[in-house]
Amino acid sequence: MEETLLKVSGVSKHFGGVVAVNGVDLHIKGGGIWGLVGPNGSGKSTLFSLVLGMHHCDDGTIHFLDDCIDNLAPHQIYGRGLVNAFQVPRPFQRLSVLDNMLVAARGHGGDRLLTSLFFTRGWQQQEVELAEKAMEILELVELDRLALSPAGELSGGQRKLLEIARGLMADPTLLLLDEPAAGVNPNLGRKIFEKIEVLWQQKGLSFFIIEHRLDLLFDFAHWVYVMDKGKIVIEGKPADIAKDPRFYQVYIGDTDAPDS
Amino acid sequence: MADPLIYLLDLVVFVGIYGILSVSLNLEFGFAGIANFGKVAFFLVGAYVYAILSALGVPFYVCLIAAAAAAALVGFLVSLPTLKLREDYLAIVVLTTGEILRQIVKSEKAIANGVWGIAVSPAIPTLGMPARVSSLVNIGLVFGCLLVCFLVAQRLANSPYGRVIRALREDEVAAEALGKNRAKYRAQVLALGSAMTAIAGGLYAQYIQFIDPYMFMPLITFTVWIMVLIGGPGNNWGALLGAALVLTFDRGANIIKDRVQNLPIDPGNLQYILYGILILLVLFFRPQGLLRESRLRTRALEKVGRGRDTAQGQRS
Repeated sequence: MEETLLKVSGVSKHFGGVVAVNGVDLHIKGGGIWGLVGPNGSGKSTLFSLVLGMHHCDDGTIHFLDDCIDNLAPHQIYGRGLVNAFQVPRPFQRLSVLDNMLVAARGHGGDRLLTSLFFTRGWQQQEVELAEKAMEILELVELDRLALSPAGELSGGQRKLLEIARGLMADPTLLLLDEPAAGVNPNLGRKIFEKIEVLWQQKGLSFFIIEHRLDLLFDFAHWVYVMDKGKIVIEGKPADIAKDPRFYQVYIGDTDAPDS
Repeated sequence: MADPLIYLLDLVVFVGIYGILSVSLNLEFGFAGIANFGKVAFFLVGAYVYAILSALGVPFYVCLIAAAAAAALVGFLVSLPTLKLREDYLAIVVLTTGEILRQIVKSEKAIANGVWGIAVSPAIPTLGMPARVSSLVNIGLVFGCLLVCFLVAQRLANSPYGRVIRALREDEVAAEALGKNRAKYRAQVLALGSAMTAIAGGLYAQYIQFIDPYMFMPLITFTVWIMVLIGGPGNNWGALLGAALVLTFDRGANIIKDRVQNLPIDPGNLQYILYGILILLVLFFRPQGLLRESRLRTRALEKVGRGRDTAQGQRS
């Protein structure tokens, strides 16, 4: 494992009286698949939204590649290579699958108004290259044959794949996936994780994954954080966590006694 | 009504002016999803800036450019307070802006003579020439401007920029999470659309040769909306078609109502009844508008797409 990508220190967030995230510390290094698990309502997705700038933390700091990103807007965080795939896929329905991919490209010259209008030559070549790259990624997730159909026509599982593919389009330094295997059939879930592993091996991408399918996550992740009631309660290698009695307490829930 | 041809030419001029309006609304609403319920505000800015400047003896093309710039600025300013809000708030802000501006020009005599209105000289003087020539000159001027606006809109629609604004229309949150600065794009589109609207306003002022605050009622906004909705949002040709259809229909109903007798209804209302029926029919049978949203085409995409088609052809 190499350089530190994401460093979350003492981050808290509450919504009204509910403390969603309570003093979380995380350390994600490059070149690995990182997992985040925990019961529903333990604050996993809130933690992701804080990292992505969709909410701002009440307390604590978040660093990405040594830069503080606490107060950046989502699009700025994306620009730095910290990319997200939504839990519920959000395709641009009336755009084609290929256009969905191209929207996600970082630093496309034609995204700027005047360049698009007057300097067509400036982006045409880039557009060809990006489209070819998009087709390669789509081939990987087996959506290439649907490249020109509207994304709204995709099935649930295909949307899930498109969501991840769109994230890859940005050449992310770290890709956050919120439940990539949720809502798809068991086989496809495993297939998605196999693709993730291939990407990690071939392209050296780093992933940080929330997943309720523990069987899958534990097969593929290198390091897992367990969250409960807004706090990280255990961290370690999947094999060790699977043996840890505290882990079963979190899930089976005899820690549910009211806080005093 | 002495010369029926003049009546037709007048219609053509109006189709051109409203064509610019509907192309600009289509850019804002059809592509970028911005519900601009304040088109008339920018139309008014354009007409008044044109009128005031041309009264000072400024050449007409400078007046038009200045009108466009002023409206672009207003469009940008209007988008500012709503940058962090959802798009529906923007709709309310622009709707009220139009009415506020109209009230201001109505009450302030210093601005273009307030409620009394002000005469505007035509862009290209045709005094002493036959009315037909004057109409044709206006048609040339208006359609020249329409052509520029149409080409700009068409080019943007088929560019990466158009892809981004369509994505923002589909899902703001997802687009922002994919690195698109929603506020920036919204401000740009609104500024550009407003500039086009103002050009239409300036052309209108110099064609009618007179403006007063009562010519800028919210009805104009909604007429343009009907044009875009009927023609098909997200299709620039649809916007033009919508403008032509609605205006022809409007004029047609206006003529018919003078010719028919013994109607069980007041003929004065006929126009509005037919109008309502037209809207209902379109909404009922083609809710997406007469023309479908145009597919995003860039030369690069066509290349990739063609490559794929042949590859598939070989495979099968």
